Amino acid sequence: MQVTSFAFLIFIFAVAALNYCLPRKFRYILLLIASLGFYASLDIKGLIVLVISILTTYGAGLLMDKGTANGSESGNGKSGNNLIFVLCIIVNVGMLAVFKYLGFFAGTVFGIMGKEAPAISILAPIGISFYILKALSYLIDVKRGTIKAERNIAKYALYVSFFTQIISGPIDRADNLIPQFNYPVTVDMEMLKDGFLQILWGYFMKLVLADRMAIFVGNVYDNPVTGTITFIGTLLYTLEIYCDFAGYSHIVIGSARLLGIDVMNNFDAPYLSKSIAEFWRRWHISLSSWLKDYIYIPLGGNRKGVARKYLNIIIVFAVSGLWHGANWTFVVWGLLHGLYQIVGFLLKPVRDFLVKTFKVDRESFAHGLVKTVITFLLVNLAWVFFRADTLAAAFDVIGKSLSFTPWVLTNGELFKHGLDQANMLLLAIGVVIVFVVDLMSVRGIVVREKILRQPWWLRWIIMIVAILVIAVCGIWGPGYDASSFIYQQF
Amino acid sequence: MKKKILNLLVIALFVAVVSGCLYAAATVVRRKESNNKYADFFTQAEKGNIDVLFMGSSHVINGVNPASLYKDYGFTSYNMGGHGSVMQATYWELIEALDYCTPKWVVVDAYMLEKNYQYLDVMNENTPQEDIDSSIDQLHLNMDCWPLNRLKLAAISDLIQDKEIRKEFLFDFMVYHDRWNELTREDYDVLAGKNGGEGLFGGELRYEVELKPSTSPDPAEGEVLAEHTVGQEYLMKIIDECQRRGIGVLVTYLPFCPTTEDKIAANSAGVTAGMYGVPYINMLDLDIIDVYTDLNDTGHLNALGAKKVTDFLGNWLLENADLTDHRGQAGYEYYDECAARYADNMKSGAVNADELYTQLEMLSFGDVGSVVYFNQGSNAFSDDGVKELVSKMSGTDKIVNTQGPYIMINDAGSGNVYEACGEEMLDGVATAMGSMVYQPVEQRFRLLYAKENEEVNYLYDDDHIWYDVQVITYDKNSGEVLSHKYYRSYGSKYRQD
Repeated sequence: MQVTSFAFLIFIFAVAALNYCLPRKFRYILLLIASLGFYASLDIKGLIVLVISILTTYGAGLLMDKGTANGSESGNGKSGNNLIFVLCIIVNVGMLAVFKYLGFFAGTVFGIMGKEAPAISILAPIGISFYILKALSYLIDVKRGTIKAERNIAKYALYVSFFTQIISGPIDRADNLIPQFNYPVTVDMEMLKDGFLQILWGYFMKLVLADRMAIFVGNVYDNPVTGTITFIGTLLYTLEIYCDFAGYSHIVIGSARLLGIDVMNNFDAPYLSKSIAEFWRRWHISLSSWLKDYIYIPLGGNRKGVARKYLNIIIVFAVSGLWHGANWTFVVWGLLHGLYQIVGFLLKPVRDFLVKTFKVDRESFAHGLVKTVITFLLVNLAWVFFRADTLAAAFDVIGKSLSFTPWVLTNGELFKHGLDQANMLLLAIGVVIVFVVDLMSVRGIVVREKILRQPWWLRWIIMIVAILVIAVCGIWGPGYDASSFIYQQF
Repeated sequence: MKKKILNLLVIALFVAVVSGCLYAAATVVRRKESNNKYADFFTQAEKGNIDVLFMGSSHVINGVNPASLYKDYGFTSYNMGGHGSVMQATYWELIEALDYCTPKWVVVDAYMLEKNYQYLDVMNENTPQEDIDSSIDQLHLNMDCWPLNRLKLAAISDLIQDKEIRKEFLFDFMVYHDRWNELTREDYDVLAGKNGGEGLFGGELRYEVELKPSTSPDPAEGEVLAEHTVGQEYLMKIIDECQRRGIGVLVTYLPFCPTTEDKIAANSAGVTAGMYGVPYINMLDLDIIDVYTDLNDTGHLNALGAKKVTDFLGNWLLENADLTDHRGQAGYEYYDECAARYADNMKSGAVNADELYTQLEMLSFGDVGSVVYFNQGSNAFSDDGVKELVSKMSGTDKIVNTQGPYIMINDAGSGNVYEACGEEMLDGVATAMGSMVYQPVEQRFRLLYAKENEEVNYLYDDDHIWYDVQVITYDKNSGEVLSHKYYRSYGSKYRQD
């Protein structure tokens, strides 16, 4: 059941209706059944791995909690907890490593040895990268004592397997979700309307924009041609992955809202960032904050000197790259982002000198615009590695995109790569709408709230037009590859 | 509680409005071919006006013209043929149609009787994917117009194996929504209730002429298909269904350039029809059409061929079917109107056709008078297709044995045809244009004038001195010149520029 499928819509509205009718204390049971059913419909075999992860982290949490309580009396609890903690981490990270990275590591090791790697073909359970991180964050928080271990296994299982998050996040935290399962709020019309609007926005980004861009991008990346067409292809991929993943996030966050649950935000106008560091505070926020809280800070963060700070950054981004996929292209993508930040730190005196010499107003619009554009182009460059199948292909695309052939914009060549004029126009309008919404978001204006304050007839018109645009202009149905979300593969 | 109920009512109202909007959007973006083809069926079936249904494949679509049948015989019919329709698709088309009307006769063509597969999306083991895609696409023409109900569900389940593809037929919005960037005014007209009926009652005329009809060896006499096919099974179901409902059945095999296998299938159709005691006409064995003038391509009849086949069927129905001539009767005004429109269109086609072959083919109908002239040495004299068309019109082979110049005056009003070639003259032949005189003078100059007005030379014009073919059309009653076309021959191609 894909999130973009009609079946999912029926599913979410049915669950929302039942949730609306059920007494609050039973809602988590409904949501757990729905979550496990949803996951089983996607990957019945993967359910075993999910259950193992749930049971091991649930059990370890309880044991550590008990150990902490006993330890405070006997003094032996801490070492016992450490052992349980390490074993549980090994089991869960081990499952992730086996399912996702065994082939990659084997290939790399055998490659270094100059031998041919044995064919290893293991299909990773859907969402394993996401729910393992959720389970680990819970375990670490229990170990740190920032949360208490959850006694109710159903609620904990629901936290890990919550169906709106299990495929591609957001990677929420136990201290946000579990209290909402314990004390469900009353789902009122305002929440329903807000959730519904957010779902519509997500579908618009995914089906109307991302999947439309994917046609052009696929065409360009499959057969890169020398010139501006390829550069446009890279730009469109940068926009595609945003519309795809942010679109997904809006759909699932809106879906959770229909159930009366607030899920953490995942995107906040990332392409309007003025630096790479800011980009990572706005892009895939749930993962970035996870990496910061559970890797960067435990490694020492910026507290152990400049060199160690740079090393920590590189480690975090290498892990981030590897988390996204078992391929060197992802590692290079991650390292590039780490490198951007380090170079940014190193060049800070030079930048300060230039700003002072040329009396640049750091608060001016022009200065901000230049920083935003440079950040966008750096991010764009890195996405090429993310999209390409191999490093060689990435370098090929980059090389070809540097050739300046602006006449393709006017001689009709632009419309020969899967999208005709009407589709390009639709895309351009859509991108402008996304840009405006993001701009307003940066300025603290939430468009959904604005819409919800309008008279009912205007709200209805907006929603109906949105539904029609998505249904008519969305890329779906036969003839199109029912494109799954890009982040689902991770 | 009261608030909850109110909220639910608001949600229900919103869902209803959204559903209405989506329905309207689906109607606009839907491909209109199916609706256009069957629009008149629904209105005429509702009135109980349809006496005959013609069932089958594109052979039927192009080969039987209900407007012509009505114009000449007064029998009301509808052409339910579908492009690429195998017998099982034809069967379900009939069942759907019978849900709306009960005709007196069903005429079913047995082309593709030899097809021995059930599902159109599977076909045979080695069928290329593009053939399957084409077959599915063509099935939309037959199926899109029918409303979603249990009958359609049963039809699609019987014709399509893949559940995902079935959905495309049951909810065609999923296929057609991406037409948003090619919508025309016609697409939006549907919202205003315009039904898009094309006036040919499901028929479709083609105007090309197949210049190289193919031939295949005949099978052994009486040879039939080696196995009982799915096609035969569904032909039997069609006959069964009609007999059960008391509807007369005529099985046909319309003419085209058949392969040996087609001829065997045609024999088998006769055997199947015989088993049920229903009449069968194998037109492959009858001299109804001329394959050199009446085919659009090797598989399909052109307008001239359709006229001949329709006339043949009209005669058969007149003699065997006890049908009523509805011409001029109250309640059949639309049929009258369409028959008149059809006649006007044919006349207009003969006058305004841009292709020489098409124009000669249309002139054969005799709706307008015509003068056809070929200059001496024209390439047309080595074009068998053109010579065949002219010869059919004149009824002689005069054009076959000359290198020109050649003239034929077909005075449709009187039914007289006048010809001259070489040095021959025509001296005062009676036509609606007047008493015409024709006299060849030299290669690029000749005279054709009416004695009543000798100053007008119809066959010479300084601006068209290098054109070697001329076709003049005139009103068969008043003699008014309707068009004058000049063609230049390039091998067997003719251009007006």
